[in-house]
Amino acid sequence: MTSGSTAYNLDERRTSASMSLRHSQSGRPSTPQHHLRSNNSSFASTSSASSSLRGEEDAIVFEFGSRWLRAGFEGDSTPTCVVGCGPEDSRRAGDYRGWLKGSLNAGTSSSQPVKAEEWTGAYELWKMDVRDVDLGLVEDKIERMFRETYNKYLLTDAGTARLVLVLPSIMPHPLLSSVLSTLFSRWRFPSITLLPSPTMAVAAAGLRSALVVDLGWAETTVTGIYEYREIATKRSTRAMKSLLQETGRFLTRLSSNSSGDADEISVNFEFCEEVVSRFLWCKPQADDHGLFASSQLTDSQGGDSESKVEDIAGLLQKTVSIPSPSNPSSNYLEIPFSKLAEPVEKVLFAEGVADCDLDDEEKPVALLAYNALLQLPPDVRGICMSRIVFVGGGANIPGVRQRVLAEVASLIDQHGWSPVRGKVIEQQRQKLRNLRLNERPTSVNSEENTAPPSPKTSIGKGDQEKRDSEEDEIDPVEEKLRRTRDKDTKPPVQGILREVESLGPWAGASLVASLKIRSLVEIEREKFLQHGLAGASRDLDTHGHAPDRRSGLRSGGDRSSWTLAGWG
Amino acid sequence: MSRPFPYAYISCPCADTPVPDPARKRRSRETSHKSNPEDPNAPVPQDYDFEDERTFDPRSPRSNFSLYPPEQLLYCEDCHQIKCPRCITEEIVCWYCPNCLFETPSSMVRSEGNRCARNCFNCPICTAPLAVTTLENVTAGGSQQGPWVLSCGYCMWTTLDIGVKFDKPTNIRTQLSKMTDSSRGRQMSKTFSDLKSPLSTYSSIDDQFPLPSEIRGDETNPATEQSSGPLNPEARFQALKGFYKGQIASTSSSPNDPLADFGAGFSSPGALNRIMSLYTSSSRLGNLYGGTNKKPKSKPPVMREALTTSEGLRVPAPDTENALIRRMASDDCGWDGMASIEQRTFQSPDARFVEDLLPLPVLLRTKRSKRCKSCKHILVKPEFKPQSTRFRIRLIALSYIPLPTLKPLVPSPFAGLPSVTPAAAPNLDALSPLKTVQLLLTLKNHMFDPVRVTLATPSVTPGRVASKVTILCPQFDIGANSDVWDEALQGSSAPGDARASRSGTLGSTEKVAEAGKVWDKGRNWTTVVLEVVPGTLPGGGATRRNRMKQHDDDNDDDNDDSDADSDANVNALDWSGQTKDPNQQLQPDEDVLEIPVFVRMEWDSENQIDQEQSVGKGQNSDTVKRELAYWMVLGVGRISSEMGF
Repeated sequence: MTSGSTAYNLDERRTSASMSLRHSQSGRPSTPQHHLRSNNSSFASTSSASSSLRGEEDAIVFEFGSRWLRAGFEGDSTPTCVVGCGPEDSRRAGDYRGWLKGSLNAGTSSSQPVKAEEWTGAYELWKMDVRDVDLGLVEDKIERMFRETYNKYLLTDAGTARLVLVLPSIMPHPLLSSVLSTLFSRWRFPSITLLPSPTMAVAAAGLRSALVVDLGWAETTVTGIYEYREIATKRSTRAMKSLLQETGRFLTRLSSNSSGDADEISVNFEFCEEVVSRFLWCKPQADDHGLFASSQLTDSQGGDSESKVEDIAGLLQKTVSIPSPSNPSSNYLEIPFSKLAEPVEKVLFAEGVADCDLDDEEKPVALLAYNALLQLPPDVRGICMSRIVFVGGGANIPGVRQRVLAEVASLIDQHGWSPVRGKVIEQQRQKLRNLRLNERPTSVNSEENTAPPSPKTSIGKGDQEKRDSEEDEIDPVEEKLRRTRDKDTKPPVQGILREVESLGPWAGASLVASLKIRSLVEIEREKFLQHGLAGASRDLDTHGHAPDRRSGLRSGGDRSSWTLAGWG
Repeated sequence: MSRPFPYAYISCPCADTPVPDPARKRRSRETSHKSNPEDPNAPVPQDYDFEDERTFDPRSPRSNFSLYPPEQLLYCEDCHQIKCPRCITEEIVCWYCPNCLFETPSSMVRSEGNRCARNCFNCPICTAPLAVTTLENVTAGGSQQGPWVLSCGYCMWTTLDIGVKFDKPTNIRTQLSKMTDSSRGRQMSKTFSDLKSPLSTYSSIDDQFPLPSEIRGDETNPATEQSSGPLNPEARFQALKGFYKGQIASTSSSPNDPLADFGAGFSSPGALNRIMSLYTSSSRLGNLYGGTNKKPKSKPPVMREALTTSEGLRVPAPDTENALIRRMASDDCGWDGMASIEQRTFQSPDARFVEDLLPLPVLLRTKRSKRCKSCKHILVKPEFKPQSTRFRIRLIALSYIPLPTLKPLVPSPFAGLPSVTPAAAPNLDALSPLKTVQLLLTLKNHMFDPVRVTLATPSVTPGRVASKVTILCPQFDIGANSDVWDEALQGSSAPGDARASRSGTLGSTEKVAEAGKVWDKGRNWTTVVLEVVPGTLPGGGATRRNRMKQHDDDNDDDNDDSDADSDANVNALDWSGQTKDPNQQLQPDEDVLEIPVFVRMEWDSENQIDQEQSVGKGQNSDTVKRELAYWMVLGVGRISSEMGF
């Protein structure tokens, strides 16, 4: 960061502080006292005193995932560090065998096949299924991760600054409780703020409503968010964990050829993860719905999508060389590039599995997104479908986003917005479609012609669509509303499929924290230490559902109780 | 374990106090039948699963977090307790760059991103330190000429690979950030003007009552800007921040008091502002848009979402993903053209290829002083200067607890010549099951008081591989750590002391470990004998293993063929500890023979800090009885799967 930018930052912070003083007066008076007290008690040297002053300014934001912990200061655009969780992190102090390169390779190259679940299990911080999770162990891991993060990367005294945790919007209470009690009892955090990760992803995209597709570790969640509130959530187990397992199996097959137990994996986890992050990709949607799907998707595919698809098809014949799974340090192995797309398609998109064979919890991602959209009320759906935000590890696999969008488009095309399926319905719909046949293709063609590939024009197109629909049927009330509204706000983009990129939940939380916007869930040390999670009041009404509006109203008496909001 | 056998670990007693979960406490109070008051600080484990008399299991996954090598532990003199990294709090004394050893003032640390602001960089490919070198050859004579680059001496990467050259050899970091954030710099100034401080009357009014014509103008503005490509994440973040700030400022002021925004900035009387705002709004009323002006007054303006790139919105270009895929598959990329996870850790989230990686400024390090978590007593205080390695205060545990060392007792069939047969020492990396091994455990006292030690161990080690353990002399004394000369002087004056017992044992010709007798004893150390019968591995002889490969010890007489087989399943580490493997497979490290030993030491302390207490109490109690108890884990060796001969 340049010095100029820091000056800028400081400036901003000052204004934001003054703003926050004005906007949320209720919370302010209590917190500074906390800091002062901790200052007096624990700081002797001048340098660390000033560091605590610094800590007072900036909350520290941690984002918890099953695999990774992101940590950094509020107001930063990217986390200072991303810490993984693996068996090497659970070793005893002074056990440096992970660093003995030779022994590690020797141990893992020809390692024994392991059950897929155990293979990935060693690398998880926790499982959401708490039945067989040793919470004590999770506490130990969290404590060590936090301590090392502070000492190695954050380089600030732990416990002096406010802590902001970004958590999945659904957390088992035992896990939440052990996280909080570990942090509160180990360090003197004055308060811990919880923020839900999907909403933060939306904030980091500059939006207020969106459909957040989180291709996470244990599960993929699709969350419809409207005005920062979670409206609907759909979950599926088709996520990165199973993708890694599938890739592991694939690499195991490559390395051994002798297929033993189908569920056992003998390649190194790190190597497999490396393959996933470097080389997995996803083909564009197969062309059997072809033309129509891609033209529906003009805004994300571009006008000349046809040629691009051809282009990708040309890549299928290519081969790439990856280090041989059996001996990653020396040999290389040539494999067809198309093979590397297979695990993604099989796991995330359930390629080759009939829809009826799928359990409710393992719907492919595209169907999941469609279902989530379907579940939303129509007006929210219109807003959300043109604000699809992809986050999570799986969103980094090239091709996944466009594939999801294309498949959702084709699902919409197939079924419309009706959950009703069946042969008879299909026939009826076909009849209706025949009636309308003369209108539809023309409008599509015109869209395709007038849509160069840029978001700006997609906005324009939204307008145009609107105008088209206006021509169709003119509702005087709508008309009037629009006339008055058009003067001061632009009509929001809606009704078309569009992807919006987000900076990710961590950045969102950092943004929110730096704007001094208070979360609904702010757990204070003393209150938590008295009763733990059980002290949270369940009575949501007293706290209001709208934190923004009523934050100024949360007066002293109200603050005696706290809530877990969505986590409660 | 990676440590060479034999080793000793000490379990910090803090492991026995679980994290106090207030909710759990409350829950148990509501339902429970146990009425004892639960004090979170009580050393008694209050969990219901186990009694406080439970045996420490070195194999449980949690014990990994409480076991420390003795030299890593600290000791609090106030609490009289061992302190591990988990039960101390740390305060940063100074920040410094490990590369140039310059100290960074605390006010600068954060703004520099916790990284060195000078010329210290790490190679993005291999993390080796980069050197500033000139491109123009030194043969030209002037060493200061020419563009400069950073180059890695290890992997030969230079900044030329990413097309970066520097004008001068100093202040590389500033130059680099200027180069890489050129777009951002522009954007920053843009957001500045976007953000228009609330002090400027015009801008804030415009924010509140945006004119339609202005909106149109806004629209064209970003349109031209969009052609200049998407912002990098940092710039986007700043844009978003500016946008949100503007929105909050323009929406949260209460509708009937548009002055809120002014008032905050000005300390001048509000009346003036009101008049000004009346003036401006009336001039607005004079405008053609008079009708619309009423509305935002009656209804608070709604916060909107970001609409343009300059506000931080980013709609990905349609072909980005395909372009990525094509680049991945292209011939000049390949496996090594893609950045690995490790390389990407600290890079911009968009960096996917090796060409995207930037040199990383060296991460700063800190010197930290450590305090006891419960009593705030300072345990470690280093010198402030980064260059100094000295400590002002350092209370390491080893000066308070006896240092345990373990070594195998060489069985000597011929009592007269014990040194002739060193090869007969058992190979600790391959202990044969069911064959008794005798070990010498030496405890060395570093305190100035004699200590009475009681050792206890479960007769059978926990876990599936049950080894039998007997401590032949579980209770003994260790002498004080007096001056070395004291011993010599004492020895000359009074030979009947410690010297006597030692010489007595040495004198015994038949040196056989006897129950109830100390093996050997010195000035401040005592050695006792441990008898261990390693258990059999669950897989029996059928289990193959190759652990010995990397150890390659001199004597592989008893495990020749174990080297041939290979299947260490390091991968299958079961850290979660939730699966009980039903089949006969050996868990990793299950064949390591580790003995939990409970150490309880008692001593009469009379010096130093206790002086204060005794002053308070009066002179009569000049000695205070102290005791300390903790679990210790002795790693003896690996049990081989082959039965011994």
